[in-house]
Amino acid sequence: MSLSGKAAIAGIGATEFSKESGRSELQLAAEACLAAIKDAGLSPSDVDGLVTFTADASAEIAVQRELGIPALRFFSRVDYGGGAAAGTVAHAAMAVATGQADVVVCYRAFNERSGHRFGQANKSGGTGSNAMEFSWHLPYGFATPAAWVAMQARRYMHEYGATSEDFGRVAVTMRRHAATNPKAWFHGRPITLEEHQASRWIVDPLHLLDCCQESDGGVAIVVTSAERARDLPHPPAVIAAAAQGTGPDQMMMFSYYSGDIAALPAMGTVGEALWRQSGLTAADVQTAVLYDHFTPFVLIQLEELGFCGRGEAKDYIREQGIGLDGALPLNPHGGQLGEAYIHGMNGIAEGVRQIRGTSVNQVADVRNVLVTAGTGVPTSGLILTGTG
Amino acid sequence: MHEELTALAERLTALGEQPALPCLDPVNAAMIRNWTQALGDPGDWADAAPPAMIQVWSMPGLVEHKGGGVADEPLRLLNEHGYTGVVATNCEQTYDRYVKVGEHLRSTMRFGGVTGPKKTGMGEGYFVTWYQSWYDADDQRVAEMLFRVLKFQPRKRAGNAPKKGGKYPLQPAIGLDTRFFWDGVNEGELRIQRCADCGTLRHPPGPMCPSCNSTNREHVVASGRGTVYSYVVHHHPPVPGRTPPYVVAVVELAEGVRVVGNVNGCPPEDVHVGMPVRLVFERMDDELTLPQWTPAGAPEPVAEATPEPEPAELEIPLTPTFVIATALATRDFTPVHHDTALARAQGTKDIFLNILTTMGVVQRAALQAVPGGKLATIAVRLGVPAYAGDTLRVRTERAGDHTLKVRGAVSLGDHVTATVTFKEDA
Repeated sequence: MSLSGKAAIAGIGATEFSKESGRSELQLAAEACLAAIKDAGLSPSDVDGLVTFTADASAEIAVQRELGIPALRFFSRVDYGGGAAAGTVAHAAMAVATGQADVVVCYRAFNERSGHRFGQANKSGGTGSNAMEFSWHLPYGFATPAAWVAMQARRYMHEYGATSEDFGRVAVTMRRHAATNPKAWFHGRPITLEEHQASRWIVDPLHLLDCCQESDGGVAIVVTSAERARDLPHPPAVIAAAAQGTGPDQMMMFSYYSGDIAALPAMGTVGEALWRQSGLTAADVQTAVLYDHFTPFVLIQLEELGFCGRGEAKDYIREQGIGLDGALPLNPHGGQLGEAYIHGMNGIAEGVRQIRGTSVNQVADVRNVLVTAGTGVPTSGLILTGTG
Repeated sequence: MHEELTALAERLTALGEQPALPCLDPVNAAMIRNWTQALGDPGDWADAAPPAMIQVWSMPGLVEHKGGGVADEPLRLLNEHGYTGVVATNCEQTYDRYVKVGEHLRSTMRFGGVTGPKKTGMGEGYFVTWYQSWYDADDQRVAEMLFRVLKFQPRKRAGNAPKKGGKYPLQPAIGLDTRFFWDGVNEGELRIQRCADCGTLRHPPGPMCPSCNSTNREHVVASGRGTVYSYVVHHHPPVPGRTPPYVVAVVELAEGVRVVGNVNGCPPEDVHVGMPVRLVFERMDDELTLPQWTPAGAPEPVAEATPEPEPAELEIPLTPTFVIATALATRDFTPVHHDTALARAQGTKDIFLNILTTMGVVQRAALQAVPGGKLATIAVRLGVPAYAGDTLRVRTERAGDHTLKVRGAVSLGDHVTATVTFKEDA
């Protein structure tokens, strides 16, 4: 039995993306969920499953109460920060495919800019396995996601000769896409490679413009059976594949201790599962939404997912192109670098819009979209397919 | 505020000497005995009072309102403008003559001025100075004292650099599976876990060998040689306890495992992938030491245990009794010198020595070094607090025919550095 084709995304919803939402994270979650449910042509009483991130502050039962959902038959959470994004849809699809639930809403909502900011120095606490992992790193002032990613980026530069400008080309492309997306925080504000190079160091080799913004907002995704989705208002984005994955010797964000760190083996695990489940190859994908909290990992993802060979991403980006007119348009909404940082969930919504043909930066003739979740952590991915 | 402060300082300076609080009792043998006993002062003072006691005679004692100081107004003004921190920096006493039992003294104060704003280790601040003088029945001056405090704006981003003697803010969690590693660090070893069954080395350590699933563990001690496998230079955002830019590296050890640490001892721009490094240990606070890295070619650091220090001439265990008895014998009833709970509530580690006692200890060390010397001045610069539980070690050094340098250190560093001069006719 395969999950492929059993479930589809029938609705997407979001709040505005801002730097200060002015309301509670629960309200953002409830608003995003309601918008997604209405987008799917359903009402809260149709919903019987909720999935969110382990990191989310709003309990499934709290969201249930706000929306007035009579009863839940399925609820679960997915761990490891932004690595959870596509994982929530994978869990929802499995629940729908096995009959555990009919309509599952996946949500993520936070005041990540005006409330708790992930980019600030982390603190360790407790003696659980995660606290132990952090304890090998925090005492050295190695305390921010930018620093953790930069460690792998430096090795990648060393191994393959990639430069800061190669990273910068990702940022410039994402900001160009965001510039024409009215929902994007950086709408109308493209950047140049020179501006990228001139931006201050955050953690060398990462400049400020290698790092995504921090955002307030919420996004929700409605998953139901592919069959039921056909009867709902929008063209279904069928889940051709959904997978989670880790790599060998996996850590939360410190997988430096064995093997090649100029790589993202967890994404390799996910990619392999996505191609196997869907029966597709990289050549079948017209556009991809690759998690872009920091630019270097966009390059490594292209390699892990087979769009190009090891160390070739810098050449692929320069020569084939990742813009709307490129060989593989990446993150047409502007990504997290340009639209908003909603822990990858806004990227899934963009994948759905590309399948529906309703994106403000629509790529032509989209049949299959690949969407990935947080990198450097245990992660997940999706391949969405149109029915037309 | 600066203009207002300057104008106020000018006005106060122009006022000149003002009567200070009255000296309640004549110079008396009972107070001298309390003082010498509390300080452990062996001197035979017969009918003269120890000169460093001069301020004792005008201390108000255990009363509600001290007030009446010439610097009250500028200190309050600075407080109101965010300069809420205060630390005494200098105390300089000049003795015109020793006073005798039975004399009734009179005291005056005058404002000495304000300088600033100055950037200091504590934060931006102003130095406020005032003088106190003591006169005898014939209106002849017998002693004068300069007293200077720094009023500073406590740093907004507290804890960016750890306070001297404070706890390093980035503490590791230590559990059953990692205790051996940190025990090793405390013994100057970098320990790598080794499976007791299959011999596989592993870092970070864990309870079960991923190669053979054995839970039997032992460790080897790393040679301390490695190369930089990857590294970053942290610039932003601020991290408590760290001063950017600093280097964090993944170091591949000669033994084959990798560890994360800082590369110290060279500018960040000198660090590169493949750079040979060697292990050093960095003391972060009283309890935490971290294994760190430095370029392999860097000179050996000065051994942490400095060669057998010359024995201090005066070694005073700062028992609570010493701290409290001396505070009371100098008629200083400020609670931070006798009430542990209250001292801690105010953010200090413990009760600590008061300045009048520090003056007395300097005098005691000086007279031990120059028996029979006649003191002319004691000028002290104040350093770290001398907390109860610590030991004050005092050394002296001749700096001229009539001059002696006195230095009193505690575990946190120098508590006092002083210059003592003697009268030429001694």
